[in-house]
Amino acid sequence: MKPHKLPSPALARVLTRALSSAASTTTTTQCGSAFPSKTVTTANFEPSLAELRRHVRSSYFVAIDLEMTGVTSAPWRESFGFDRSDVRYLKVRDSASKFAVVQFGVCPFRWDPSKHSFVANPYEHSFPIIGTLILVTQMFATEMGVISVDIAVSISLAMRRGYVVNGYNFYVFPRQELAGLGPCDEFLCQSTSMDFLAKYQFDFNVCIREGISYLSREQEREALRNICKFKDVRDIPLVNIADILFTARMKQKFSEWRDGLLHEQNQEDQIQEISKDSKFKVIFFEMHPALRLDGFTRHQLNLIQMVIRKHFEDLSYVSVNSETSGSQQLVVYTDSKDELDLLMKKVKEENHKEAEMKVQVAVGFRHVIDLLSSEQKLIVGHNCFLDLAHVYSKFIGPLPAAPEEFAVSVNKCFPHIIDTKILLNTNSMLQNRMKRSRKSLASAFTSFCPQIAAGSRNNDLVSLSHVKVDIEVGDSRSSSWNPGGKHEAGYDAFMTGCIFAQLCSDLGIDFKLHESSKQLALNEILQKYVNRLYLSWMHGDIIDLNTGNKVADSSPSHSLKKRYPKILFENIVIIWGFPSKLKASEVRECISKVFGPNSVISVFHLDATAVFVQFSKTELVSDFLLVKDTLERGDGAILVLHPLAKLLEGGDTCAANYDTYKEICGSPLSEGLFADQAKAVGIKWKTKLTESMVALGDEEHENPSVQRNVNTAMQNVERTRQNTIDQLRNDPSRGHVSSFDIEDSSSVAEANL
Amino acid sequence: MGPLFQLSSRRSLCTSSRWRVKQVTTSNFQESLEEIKTHISASDFVAVSMGTTGSPTAPSWLRPLPFDTDQTAYSKARRSAHRFQLLHFAVCPFSVAHPNHLIIAHPYNFVLFPRDELKTGMPAYSFSCQTSLLASMARQGYDFNACVYNGISYMSRAQESVARIRHGTALSSHRGMNTSTVFTVADTVFVERIRSRIKHWRNSCKSSDTNTKTSKHEELINSLKNIVLGSEQFRSRPCMTIDVCSERQVQLILEMLVDYSDDLLPLPVPTQNGTIHSVRIVLANSKEDKDLLERELQNFEEEESKNIRGFREVIDLISASQKPVISHNCLNDCTLIHSKFIAPLPHELDEFVSSFRAVFPKVLDVNYLMKKHGSMKKVTNIPSAISYLNNHFFAPVDLEIPDQATVKEGKIHGLDALRLSYLFMKLCSILKISPNVTESGNKHLTPELEDLTNVFHPFSALIKDSFNEDVGLWTNNTKKVSCEHLVFLWGFKFGMTAGMLKSVLRSAHDTFSGEFDVKLVDRSCAIVVFWQPGLSKEFMEIMNSEETTGGIKNLVSDGLRVTGYETYSTICRLGLWELDLAESLERASESSCRGIESKCERKSCEIHWYNDNVINLDDL
Repeated sequence: MKPHKLPSPALARVLTRALSSAASTTTTTQCGSAFPSKTVTTANFEPSLAELRRHVRSSYFVAIDLEMTGVTSAPWRESFGFDRSDVRYLKVRDSASKFAVVQFGVCPFRWDPSKHSFVANPYEHSFPIIGTLILVTQMFATEMGVISVDIAVSISLAMRRGYVVNGYNFYVFPRQELAGLGPCDEFLCQSTSMDFLAKYQFDFNVCIREGISYLSREQEREALRNICKFKDVRDIPLVNIADILFTARMKQKFSEWRDGLLHEQNQEDQIQEISKDSKFKVIFFEMHPALRLDGFTRHQLNLIQMVIRKHFEDLSYVSVNSETSGSQQLVVYTDSKDELDLLMKKVKEENHKEAEMKVQVAVGFRHVIDLLSSEQKLIVGHNCFLDLAHVYSKFIGPLPAAPEEFAVSVNKCFPHIIDTKILLNTNSMLQNRMKRSRKSLASAFTSFCPQIAAGSRNNDLVSLSHVKVDIEVGDSRSSSWNPGGKHEAGYDAFMTGCIFAQLCSDLGIDFKLHESSKQLALNEILQKYVNRLYLSWMHGDIIDLNTGNKVADSSPSHSLKKRYPKILFENIVIIWGFPSKLKASEVRECISKVFGPNSVISVFHLDATAVFVQFSKTELVSDFLLVKDTLERGDGAILVLHPLAKLLEGGDTCAANYDTYKEICGSPLSEGLFADQAKAVGIKWKTKLTESMVALGDEEHENPSVQRNVNTAMQNVERTRQNTIDQLRNDPSRGHVSSFDIEDSSSVAEANL
Repeated sequence: MGPLFQLSSRRSLCTSSRWRVKQVTTSNFQESLEEIKTHISASDFVAVSMGTTGSPTAPSWLRPLPFDTDQTAYSKARRSAHRFQLLHFAVCPFSVAHPNHLIIAHPYNFVLFPRDELKTGMPAYSFSCQTSLLASMARQGYDFNACVYNGISYMSRAQESVARIRHGTALSSHRGMNTSTVFTVADTVFVERIRSRIKHWRNSCKSSDTNTKTSKHEELINSLKNIVLGSEQFRSRPCMTIDVCSERQVQLILEMLVDYSDDLLPLPVPTQNGTIHSVRIVLANSKEDKDLLERELQNFEEEESKNIRGFREVIDLISASQKPVISHNCLNDCTLIHSKFIAPLPHELDEFVSSFRAVFPKVLDVNYLMKKHGSMKKVTNIPSAISYLNNHFFAPVDLEIPDQATVKEGKIHGLDALRLSYLFMKLCSILKISPNVTESGNKHLTPELEDLTNVFHPFSALIKDSFNEDVGLWTNNTKKVSCEHLVFLWGFKFGMTAGMLKSVLRSAHDTFSGEFDVKLVDRSCAIVVFWQPGLSKEFMEIMNSEETTGGIKNLVSDGLRVTGYETYSTICRLGLWELDLAESLERASESSCRGIESKCERKSCEIHWYNDNVINLDDL
């Protein structure tokens, strides 16, 4: 593409004015009717599903968003700079498996080809003009933001088309519809998340009363397996007199009835006899004479079943479950074995069908997921790794142990996923436009789709470059509604979809050429972004769902990288259980005294009971663990004098390398404090030494290694004193007073030695 | 209460459908607090009942089971209290008039929500909800929106003190620290440095104050200087911040300032984790101004702590009144109250009981009262107990609710506390116990009732009964079993019933030729009781020996595992709560905690075996 001629300054000025007025409307219009999405609960789930099916089939892509009852189960499970990507995944896994999804927004976006639609100004770009667009945008981006886009688009005013969106807002609740099957009976709520939901007027009553339940694929399989199992009645030992009498009476009753049947139909009175008893009702079942049993307890029915099996060859006990008449217990007479087999087969099939129907109903909301999966549409989300983890754990099966496995499994269900956050951050052009604003969904929405965010009532002010989006509810369409405000899944999904549509347009993707969603997903321009998700946003760790591999953040200027320098995880020790008053600076001090002033790069508080210590060299990790271990094994007297004493005070201080942290994160438990969690996970040791370290330790055992450590410690104290000034200069946060303290404490340490 | 309400008060005899309970949310909490204060102080008893976000029910083994010992039952209650939060708390202060069996009750239902008001992860960072319980509450018309939006917050005493420190309202706690410790050289140096810093700062502040008539130019320079030097203000008074490294230094600064000047007010600034990193020193205009500021801060603190306490105010009122508390399931309710309003629950039952009794000296368990009356052993919920008593006994109780008319129609949540008071009166009348409170200086319960207070075991009724009078009632289906005779079995085929398992076992080994019982605890695990002493030990040895043969070998190869009752005690004590008991037992046996646990003494190791306690999986 060649650079096009820049527009004249005059034109630019005019457009500046237009834009500024548009911007002012953005801020003022904040009231009116709510975003018209369809709220779906158990009451209207069936018809809505059918409708959604139609809309998804004809859609180009489907935007989704989830509202959950929480994100992190304990403070130490929050996302930190010290999360390696596998640990980050474990944290996400913990979150997805503990919290419930309460709302699920689904927005199928369909390209509107109809020329005679009443939608005003349908909008379309053709490829070469888009080329212009991008270039112009880049040139003007820094000075004037979005205006430049308007210039280019004004050229193609003649043929505008837009999207039609159907917003669905599903209330979901993990109710158990089938006893003992389905979602776990307990879910977690995070207090702050509940507050957040309440702040946006989330309707908890609707959610709990009418939220749609679901079964995951695995749970469905289990449910179906359970149906197939034929329930065999065991022999009940007749221990008490009542049971013995009861069985005898039943035996007599059934034989009378059977004999009555056999003696032709002339002995009506016999049949009458039994039908006088209200517990038996004479009926015909599948053309066979039968008795319906009513008002017996389960135990009694079991006894009857036993009697029938033991004493009557031509009678059989049949349990029927049907939608119309509910559960029925019958005793049926059959003439021959063949007839019986035929009957039993039929009953079994019917019961099976019935049970399957029940399971199908119980599958509930998962039908929506199955629909998205089977249609293989491009799924659009915003920072959606956690969302996908939820989708997987709720509707597919338990989350796998490693991110790679997860990626592969997700890819099987949803072959095309795109994350708008990836698009926004890894594309340099888009990133430039987002520069000033934060990258939250709402701010991206207002900066990329200002006309929609403003409610699009002032059509004349709407910049022409923007993708036109109409919302369809039932048969009517509207392009005017109240933006935002309501933080519901349907609206968030809608915003995500709009951003994606706009980004596609900005990137020059021509929808006319793409007849189906599959082609859109395979679009060359999008290829760089499809199926890539942020695993760890802080480090820019991106996972490629196609391969399960980690991809380095390709963004030209990942600003976060500067803020979070690369961490060498093998240099990290995690320490927990120390006296709770200990500050990070004190931990650093303690360790620096033993291993040298430059040994510790950083100390990070995980919570009040645990810290990460990042050493400058990998060897220091094992050195530290060894020293700690030796100190604790050794004589208490030496420990008291050692600079690490402060850290080991109380005797509950544990330390290990980074892998232990991962192990603890992988546990399904979630105690409030990390030290408690480690205890709950069952960690009994105080210091985790790797095998090589243990060998080393044994070698040194003959040497007075502790003595050596004390010596080094002493040397280090000397060194610390010399370096105090340096250290202070490096650490601007300390004032005069604390400098005094450092001097003070080092002299104390010296005195002790 | 005006005479109008007295006139319009209604006496409902046994039609609980017409009872109304005053619903309290954040909007009417303050006024209701005043009201209930007078009602509590005028009452004889306070009935309480609460609704949580969950409680383990069948088929989970985490619910209290008949074979639990005091300690294991407590451990389970502790787990629930820790996991779940309160959604409503019904309080019904009532007074009784014995001869004519009249209750005058003032029922309230406080709608609660564990809102994290201070964003400090309190009362809970996260909490569990039981889907089935929420769904059934929803079916009964419970308004969750009212609960989340307008529920009253709460916080325990322990949490409040943490919050105070974190929130910087721990002003008073630093007062009156005595100057006991000896000054070291370092201390003196520190104090002198700080003193000179403060002196310079104070002088510079004062001088800029006195030179008020300076030119605009200077003013500008001054304000620029302030910006550059980072001088701060606190409630429109100049202040400076001194970093400190220890509590000791905080104390030194505070002490030094007492002697130094009248117009300086030190305020320790706490950090997120409650430690103090710096002290803010505020320069007031005069001594009066300093006192004013101090009062201002104290008022602020009080307001703040009132908000922090929230509903706990009511609990504190009940506690302060020392009135006997009536509850339905004492262990459950008391562990909840302790963990939500007092402090985290200790590990041991004894510690809990003494800690709880310090706050609530007398708790009466109506459930226990009902068990005292033998025929009601199976009635577990309050409404059915009431209807049972109404149908089987003539014991008229008059209930008077003076505020009835002020309560809007249709609000019927939190009736249980009211029902409890009614039930309590009824039971007293049937059991011929006088509920009257003798007023001899201090209020005392009648000795019969006194005996029934503070029973913290859900099944403890049986222990006393089976020993004492009511043996006849119980022996046909309850036997006392030593825990030594119990073993847990797991790893059998999924879907096996107790009967199937029993017959499998019987054919597998000779130890099962004698009398034994098998019951399923949950779908994964069964408990076996050997009625012959020594057999349990023998069986466990056989299972673990290498020379097993025949049926048993087959079962072991199929995955059957066995362990003794002490493993069960261990998992409860250590809190190895897995969804399936089998998982927990497996974890306990594979980890080394056995060694640790063996030293803990085995007390009260006797349980009671019900024959009707079969958990029928077919029914689930």
